[in-house]
Amino acid sequence: MLCVLLAAWAAYANPGVESEHFEEDLVIRPLKDGRIGTRFSFTTTLEDVSPRNPESLDGDDDSQHYTLFPLTLGQILREYAITELHLSLNAGKWNYDTWGMPDEPGVATGGELWAWIADGASTSVDQRWQGLRNALAGLFCASLGAMDEQRTTSPSRTFRPEGSLPDWGHPHHLRHAFLPSEHVCTENLTPFYKLLPCKSFSGIATLLNPHRLFDADWHGMSIHVLWKEGVGIQVRLTFQAVLDPIRNSWNKKRDWSLKSLFGRRIEQSCPISSASQIRVSIPEDQPHLFTPQPSGVDGSYAVFNVSGGEWLFTDVEMRWHNETSFQNRFTDPRTATGKQNSVSALSVQRTLKSVNKYRGSLNVAVTNNRGDDIQTTYLETIPWFVQLFLHTLRIECNGTRRGDLLDDTTYTPPIPHSRPTLYQSTLTVPAGSTVYMTMDVTKAFLRYTEHPPDAQRGWDLPPAVFVPIKAGQKGSDELERIYTPILLVDLATPDFSMPYNVIIMSSTLITFIFGSVFNLLTRKFIVTKVEGNHKTDETGQLESASAGGKD
Amino acid sequence: MALNIRGILGRLRSRGAGPKLKRRKALDNMAWTYFPRLKILLLVVGYAWMLCLPLKELSRGIYIDENALQPGGVNTNWNWGDVHRADSYLSELERLRDSNATSIERTDYISLQFQKLRIPTSIQNYTFYTRSGPIYGSNAYAILSSPRYSGAEATLISASWLSRMGDGDGTLNLRGVATVLSLAAFLNQYSLWSKDLIFVISDGYMEGMQAWASAYHGRTQSNMHAEPLQLTSGMIWTALDIDYPGHSFSHLGIFWEGLNGRLPNQDILNSFHVISRNTGGVPVLLHDNHDPNDDNWRDPLPVSWLPSTLGNNGRVKDYAYRARNLLRHVTYQARGHPSGIHGLLHQFHIDAFTIFAVPATGPHGFHTLGRIVESTLRTCNNLLERLHASFFFYLLPEPGTFTKIGNYLPSAVVISTAILFSGLRSWVQAGWVEVPVPASKEGRAKGSQVVKWERRSRPSLQAVLIILATHAWGVPLYFISTWPTPPRLLALACLCSSMLLASRFIDKIDSDTRKIAPIWMLLRSFNLCFASTVISATSVLNFSLAAVLAVLLGVPLSFSGPTDDVLTSVTLRFAYVLLAIFWFTPAWNVMDQAVWDWEFLGGYFSPFICMIYVPIIWQAVIVASLTNRS
Repeated sequence: MLCVLLAAWAAYANPGVESEHFEEDLVIRPLKDGRIGTRFSFTTTLEDVSPRNPESLDGDDDSQHYTLFPLTLGQILREYAITELHLSLNAGKWNYDTWGMPDEPGVATGGELWAWIADGASTSVDQRWQGLRNALAGLFCASLGAMDEQRTTSPSRTFRPEGSLPDWGHPHHLRHAFLPSEHVCTENLTPFYKLLPCKSFSGIATLLNPHRLFDADWHGMSIHVLWKEGVGIQVRLTFQAVLDPIRNSWNKKRDWSLKSLFGRRIEQSCPISSASQIRVSIPEDQPHLFTPQPSGVDGSYAVFNVSGGEWLFTDVEMRWHNETSFQNRFTDPRTATGKQNSVSALSVQRTLKSVNKYRGSLNVAVTNNRGDDIQTTYLETIPWFVQLFLHTLRIECNGTRRGDLLDDTTYTPPIPHSRPTLYQSTLTVPAGSTVYMTMDVTKAFLRYTEHPPDAQRGWDLPPAVFVPIKAGQKGSDELERIYTPILLVDLATPDFSMPYNVIIMSSTLITFIFGSVFNLLTRKFIVTKVEGNHKTDETGQLESASAGGKD
Repeated sequence: MALNIRGILGRLRSRGAGPKLKRRKALDNMAWTYFPRLKILLLVVGYAWMLCLPLKELSRGIYIDENALQPGGVNTNWNWGDVHRADSYLSELERLRDSNATSIERTDYISLQFQKLRIPTSIQNYTFYTRSGPIYGSNAYAILSSPRYSGAEATLISASWLSRMGDGDGTLNLRGVATVLSLAAFLNQYSLWSKDLIFVISDGYMEGMQAWASAYHGRTQSNMHAEPLQLTSGMIWTALDIDYPGHSFSHLGIFWEGLNGRLPNQDILNSFHVISRNTGGVPVLLHDNHDPNDDNWRDPLPVSWLPSTLGNNGRVKDYAYRARNLLRHVTYQARGHPSGIHGLLHQFHIDAFTIFAVPATGPHGFHTLGRIVESTLRTCNNLLERLHASFFFYLLPEPGTFTKIGNYLPSAVVISTAILFSGLRSWVQAGWVEVPVPASKEGRAKGSQVVKWERRSRPSLQAVLIILATHAWGVPLYFISTWPTPPRLLALACLCSSMLLASRFIDKIDSDTRKIAPIWMLLRSFNLCFASTVISATSVLNFSLAAVLAVLLGVPLSFSGPTDDVLTSVTLRFAYVLLAIFWFTPAWNVMDQAVWDWEFLGGYFSPFICMIYVPIIWQAVIVASLTNRS
């Protein structure tokens, strides 16, 4: 009877056999300054499955049986009914001017987490957001739990859903947080491996060699979960790195091979991947040589198939003809300053200038490197301890004040000790010119308990985000985001060494006293005679006497 | 219980009231009687303490307070290849020098070198509008982004085109520039930098760095136009300035005094000291003062008049050496004049100092300097927080030792206490008048010596107005100090005589001194209290300035006051006037530099002298020229 019931329940919970498939892809791009940009992408698709409806959160969840889909991630997604999720952990500063737009747009320094969560459950969106943060922090060994309400905003103009949102009759909400001081390292990569079906044993993931990746000029990993109507749930795990072959080459050449970049070769393809390929961007008008010959050409990419290629036990190599050593292209620093020949359409420089500990000015310079005007959204999410004075906002372009360039501003003021500032607006940058924005800021005086342990380091401010709006593409799914570098702000900080010494000293003293008193109170002092049994009664009396004394 | 305690306290109070009051009165009387001796004692102690500052007993060995620094804990990789590269940069720079290249050609060359190294680089032009016409210049700088890190923090490595030799007298810092360029190429090979490295080759001496640092931190000044920087990085925590004017060097000197007497955190100087000794094997000097045991030791000035047996005594020599180091420090810090371009950075909370390769015939060159700088940068790179821990108060009498704040600060404070006590005594004196008591009225009179102290009013307003007037009078004095010497001395003479004339009118204010205190007492009281406050407050901001003020003002002010003897009075006033305006005489030649510092760098020494120091002495002059009424 029990067996029948169990079988019936299993059939109910797992109505159809989900089909899953896995694809992997490595893109290698030689960059303008001789560095090599690489992007690993591992996509698992769970077909014909939709995200969990928050209304069902009160009941029991369906059982989850996955073959390729990472179970640990799936459990988190269903537990908190997350529709769409993006997490990135990056180290370094993405140089848009020389490296161009990244293959994965999420290149903010440190941690970034954003999710689209539907309403309708008995638990609030914020409660589930908190649960999600903590669960992911555990999964990826990152301090994502620190992305509390002091860092969480909802900048829905900048972070649009990349997949589709199911219509359950309840609105979806965005929750977004930056954690600029998070450093990505090996302890984050190990959990990343575990989510891959072939781990790092075969396929492209073999090349994920921590010794080389964490030596790269820029590296970062990200996890994207999204639902596409008619396709299913997609989990995309990516790893990006910008490697510098010149730095490690004795003759300053930029030739590379998989072995020289990653210290490894692919010796075995991942047997369960339905597609596995390496794509190398073909440089324009520069003579170069690939060994072995690519198996195909896809647009501007040379494609090497990993599944079943006979080169598997060798290597992919790229050499530049007639180049004895890499020569950086000379630009006149007086006129160009490295900007006019920027690869990126927009160049953004953001600084917090201040001479003292209580005031400063936030300066943003946006340069349009193209021949036509660019409209872009501008997002600032600044923690409460740096307060913007909107009325001091000055916009200058070509030496004149241009208040008309800024439009469509939304502003959520900060609440001290809890909510950050959210500032969004649309900025028009005229062709070939630079727009300078300055805004005065004040720095708060923190409570002494609010200072971090490394108080004298200062506070990291999250990056600003620019999203150029292309004409006639206002509601597009894929938006190119430009993150500025993060900032460090010095707040008035007491010299903690003295109070800390006092705290440590007094704590030690209290611990010592407490320990001794506690010991005296709880320990029983018993006189025992080892020889002879006739004295036991006496001992018992002593014991009771001491117990009575304590009361 | 509570009642009981109150009862006991009450009884104690009632019982102790009589003797307590008596004791207190006796103590007051004693203080009043012995005050002149106390004043002299304080002054003697203060001046003696000042003389003791160079003693070994007051200082202790340096140590590293910040554990993260770990100086000298790395293997250095700088090698002969890098030296060769520095040599080739040097020959190019010498070619530029010989062809009289303009600063634009120079910066073009330097920024081209940075570009070849794949380091983003830019140029900043600036103009200073001086009285003698504009000064144009051009800085080249490059920012090496730290791989793997956010670039929120940065370390600055700079070299000015002009060396600090002779305070920027025109000696070129070619080897310093070549070292920075070669370092840029070398440091670019490593991925271990946790902070952005900013390389700045600033034009001129102070001007270039002033323009660059101001633009970096968003500060503007009316007499300077500095282009905004095209490239920026994060917060600069530490900075090294490399100054290598000679052909080779035997010692490395450190220059650490900043604008307005600011000092860098001592940890960075200590780290450099450890690294230079252990990694480079180069002895460290304070400034460029050689050790008495060194061949380069010049006969010290203070002991040249001593008999040779005493002059050659080890302890005397040692004292003279340490005293000379301290005096050199005081000449920079008291004037608030930066001892190198590093001094412009302290105001932005950057711990900076200059490494000065003291010119010598050998044996060290690029190879040693490169290794030491590499290791020092690695040490700066280790920092997880800014340098802090109150290591900003120190005197360095000798390389490897320092004097703690507790051992040097009291010297100035004790003298300022003597001044304060004199001022307070004046205030009390002003409030009471001695009235002889007629014997007939007093029943129990014991003789004609009986006196009675009566209160009199102390109208402070007039005294305060006079004091304010003397400080306001400092404003024209400041403008005069910017003039060339001959008209300046003439104007000074006019100002002095105007002030002496004014004191004639002030003397007319006094009326009945039995009811109202004489003006000189009030004036003297305010003058002394103010002077003492200035010295005490300055002592923690700029100890050298406080010490100079204490030494110069201590005795003259403590014994100021009107005298009946005309000759003494005139001599005294003349001495005071000399004490006030000796800064402005061409023999001292301090004010020209100070005025330049104020106008272009924001060093407050010249306004301080004109509007605080001279008026304080002027108040004493007025006090001395008034009629001695009591």
